[in-house]
Amino acid sequence: MQQLTIIAAAAAVFIAGQAQAQSTIKIGVVTPLTGTYAGIGQQVKWGIDLAVKEINDKGGVLGRKIETIYEDEEANPNVAVQKAEKLFQVSKVDFLTGTVNSGSTLAVGQVAERNNRLASTTVSFSDAITGDKCSPNMFRVNAKAGMQSAALVEWMVKEKPSPSVFYLGPDYEMGRSTVAAFKSAAEKRGAKSVGEVFAALDNKDYSPFFGQIRAARPQVLYTSVAGNDTVRFLTQLSEFGLAKGLQIVGAAGTVTAQNMGAVGKAADGYVTGAAYSAEIDTAENKKFVADFKAAWKTEPDLYGVDSYGVVYFYKTAVEKAGTTDTDKLRSAMRGLEWQTPQGKKTMRAGDHQAVQDMYAVKVVNGKFQIISKVAGEAAVGPDTCTKF
Amino acid sequence: MSEIIETLQFVYGPQVANGLAIGVAVILMALGLTIIFGLLDVINMAHGEFYALGAYLGITLAARGASFWLCLALVPLIMAAIGYATERALIQRVFHSGDRHTLTLLLTFGLAIIAEDAFKLAYGPNPYKPDAPISGASELLGIVLPNYRLFLIAAGSAIILAVWLVVYRTSLGAMVRASAFDRNMASSLGVPVDRVYAGTFAFGVALAGLSGVLLAPVYSVFPTMGKDFILMAFSVVIVGGMGSIKGAVIAGLVLTQIQSISSLFISPVWSEPLVFGIMVLFLMVRPQGLAGRLGHG
Amino acid sequence: MAEAALLRATVEAGERVQFGGQNLFAGLFVVLALAFAVFAGASGDTFFFRLATEALILAGLAMAVDVLLGYTGLLSLGHALFFGFGAYVSALVLKNVAPSFWAATGITLLAATLLGFIAGFVSIRARGVYFALITFGLAQVVFKAVYNTREVGGSDGIIGIPQIRAEFGLFSVDAQSPAGFFLLTLALVMLLYAALAYLMRTPFGRMLVAIRTNEARVPFLGFSPWQVKLAAFVVAADTAALAGSLYPMLRGFVSPELFAFQASGNAVIMVILGGSGTLAGALYGASILTALKSVIGSWSEHHLVIIGALFMLSVIFLPKGLAGFALPRIQRWLGRRGEKR
Repeated sequence: MQQLTIIAAAAAVFIAGQAQAQSTIKIGVVTPLTGTYAGIGQQVKWGIDLAVKEINDKGGVLGRKIETIYEDEEANPNVAVQKAEKLFQVSKVDFLTGTVNSGSTLAVGQVAERNNRLASTTVSFSDAITGDKCSPNMFRVNAKAGMQSAALVEWMVKEKPSPSVFYLGPDYEMGRSTVAAFKSAAEKRGAKSVGEVFAALDNKDYSPFFGQIRAARPQVLYTSVAGNDTVRFLTQLSEFGLAKGLQIVGAAGTVTAQNMGAVGKAADGYVTGAAYSAEIDTAENKKFVADFKAAWKTEPDLYGVDSYGVVYFYKTAVEKAGTTDTDKLRSAMRGLEWQTPQGKKTMRAGDHQAVQDMYAVKVVNGKFQIISKVAGEAAVGPDTCTKF
Repeated sequence: MSEIIETLQFVYGPQVANGLAIGVAVILMALGLTIIFGLLDVINMAHGEFYALGAYLGITLAARGASFWLCLALVPLIMAAIGYATERALIQRVFHSGDRHTLTLLLTFGLAIIAEDAFKLAYGPNPYKPDAPISGASELLGIVLPNYRLFLIAAGSAIILAVWLVVYRTSLGAMVRASAFDRNMASSLGVPVDRVYAGTFAFGVALAGLSGVLLAPVYSVFPTMGKDFILMAFSVVIVGGMGSIKGAVIAGLVLTQIQSISSLFISPVWSEPLVFGIMVLFLMVRPQGLAGRLGHG
Repeated sequence: MAEAALLRATVEAGERVQFGGQNLFAGLFVVLALAFAVFAGASGDTFFFRLATEALILAGLAMAVDVLLGYTGLLSLGHALFFGFGAYVSALVLKNVAPSFWAATGITLLAATLLGFIAGFVSIRARGVYFALITFGLAQVVFKAVYNTREVGGSDGIIGIPQIRAEFGLFSVDAQSPAGFFLLTLALVMLLYAALAYLMRTPFGRMLVAIRTNEARVPFLGFSPWQVKLAAFVVAADTAALAGSLYPMLRGFVSPELFAFQASGNAVIMVILGGSGTLAGALYGASILTALKSVIGSWSEHHLVIIGALFMLSVIFLPKGLAGFALPRIQRWLGRRGEKR
């Protein structure tokens, strides 16, 4: 019974799909609409929807309108793969984006390869995606962890020469490698490491670590926790009086629009390296922020602006190639320069990583103030992708 | 000698103090769970979600201007009503079938799935953090503890004492214990067993909701928070003995201390699995836990 | 003596109807699956074939859960442990040892049996709630361990599993081929069903039911419930692991989420929806849930609430699941056929 209904539905979609194939360009978005990362998925959707509306209002791409199809990946790579395949096979999308966690991005990249289509992530920052696990069909328009670290280290050693740093991260692959990357970059510039501890992911109570932190007496505390863990870590740190006189820095994903409200005053003074701040003072960005706020009643964050940018990336590439054919499009994307609210970005051909200016930003009263800048080429690091 | 004192003061002291604060939180969660286990023989897999619901209710009331203390008073009452309704509408339906254990487990498991998604729908996926009503920190013998946590320890202990008094020193408690010991006998003695069951479930749920409100300023509020304490709470209940309040208190204190101090020696990630391992050991060697079952001494 | 013979004949006739009914129910599933294959094959589809293959793989996991829940009366809330284990072992073998179907499944079977013994030894002393909690906790611990271990891919999982050809002597099946792999998986899962169904008819299988009904009495029959439960646990572990070993062949990657509680929970939902204690019910339950999630997931963000509600309604009003609805009708039909002879 069930299978027959599916067949009927599939047939209907097939037929409908064929009819539409010539007129619109379809962009599939596999993003977490439920689950822990739903807040990020929401910004991704807002960014993409805004860009698509703007582009369609101006006539579309090569005269064709863009149509977006969303699927919820529940922040689970197994679901992401299934939905990605559905988008490629049934909805026949021309391009795929939206994956948030690195596992999903890597797996979806493989699906894209098998379906001979291109995809890009706008959120995942694991270095491996454009490093040793790079894929000829996966691109990244956002900054990777190494770039974020570079901007942060640059600012930190200027502010406090030879600082003593304590590291606290969540004990999983991403948390550890983020800490390791920052630590090695910082130590090369003269920072002293006075302690390192890894808490469980979803750890509720960080007070067991405060004794260690207190004893180490660091000037700087680096953390790579995220989401709810950040809320608990920073507020508990502040409640125990440890935050006084301590400069807290961390990964870009640690304090974001999603948890800033809950962290509250404890986030003031937090510094991180990121490719964006809503406070960037250019006419382009001001217009973008205003449009975004008018459409969605919320300020855009890192994920919103990068997702907005990926649609323009795709548009610029298609217009340059004159077609949506995969191989021609891939060549067009390699080395492509395109405009975003963050300025000009260049897609590095060797590893499909977008090169962009990086900023050190500080949280002041709920806003990310820009306090220093590192040029794109200096931040991006070497091309370690050997697959193409 | 002074080195030993220093170690005690700066290394172990804080761990013990923190463990105490965490311990009170876990015990509050475990209390409701163990009472529901002990009397109804029902595994409430949705207990964590009731904890979360209490926290969310607290935020909702606070948004309407209620003070923290008012929330503390109101939320348990609302939760009790919800618990009573849940027991009569859902649990009762499968209570009398032969497969009761499995079915109630499955039912509350389904409830937990729905609840988590419902929270996200109603409140959004991002976390909230209510401000602690008591700010600042105090220092005692070189150990620093936020004042709110001191309040938690005090308030938590008071609640635990109150629960113990109600269960063991009031006639209401006597009815509950009688129903747990021998349902039919209690019924024939005039105890309104059905209402006692529903009321007990309501009580357990109210405790969970109360914990939610109390702990929200420390641990923040978000849709998946129901899973925060659940494994620890179940471990405490099992090691302490299903249905034993005394057992839950002792096990709660001991297990959280183990978790807190062990993070000094082993990677903190393994602290919770360690506690879980202790629970498994108990199940293999002494399944009735430290103190045995409610009503059964 | 005549009464004994009559009693025996009646019991055997009844069992023929009961087991026959279950087998017919399973046979109906195969017919539906084949019909689906014809339809999908004719339209040159890839996605629905792969989705259906995934449903079949999950059905294997569900059957394993049913062996424990429906027959032995033990609710395992962490069975994804073995499913994920099977998937990872298979993935590692395919990637690092040899891209061979037989190597992957064979090594998985051996490793899973060992793991099953160890995990079973720890879990089997507990009953009811405690068993559920132990299995839940074990799965959580392993999930976190795999999530944190870079050597097995950590939180990113393992990608780049080579696509294999399964050699069967006279013919081979390419894992890449949607229809081919679907049929292969169907054959394998039905083989598992047949093996398990047969096992449940043997004295061993009846012992499981005896344990579920009244464990205290089993020793008086001269058997040790402990050993029987452990054996059942290992059988369930092997089944789940074998099903899991097919996953990387289908999707080309594995991730720690295969161990997560959601996977275990979904398996339980599948068993309940399909009908516990029937094995065939698990097949239907897996198909229904996979289809539901795919369809509802595309329509609405609130799919978890809908599925959770469906599950709860099923537990309350239809505790015997789909099988509870269909089997009596099939059995009545069988019984009538028997009478006509």
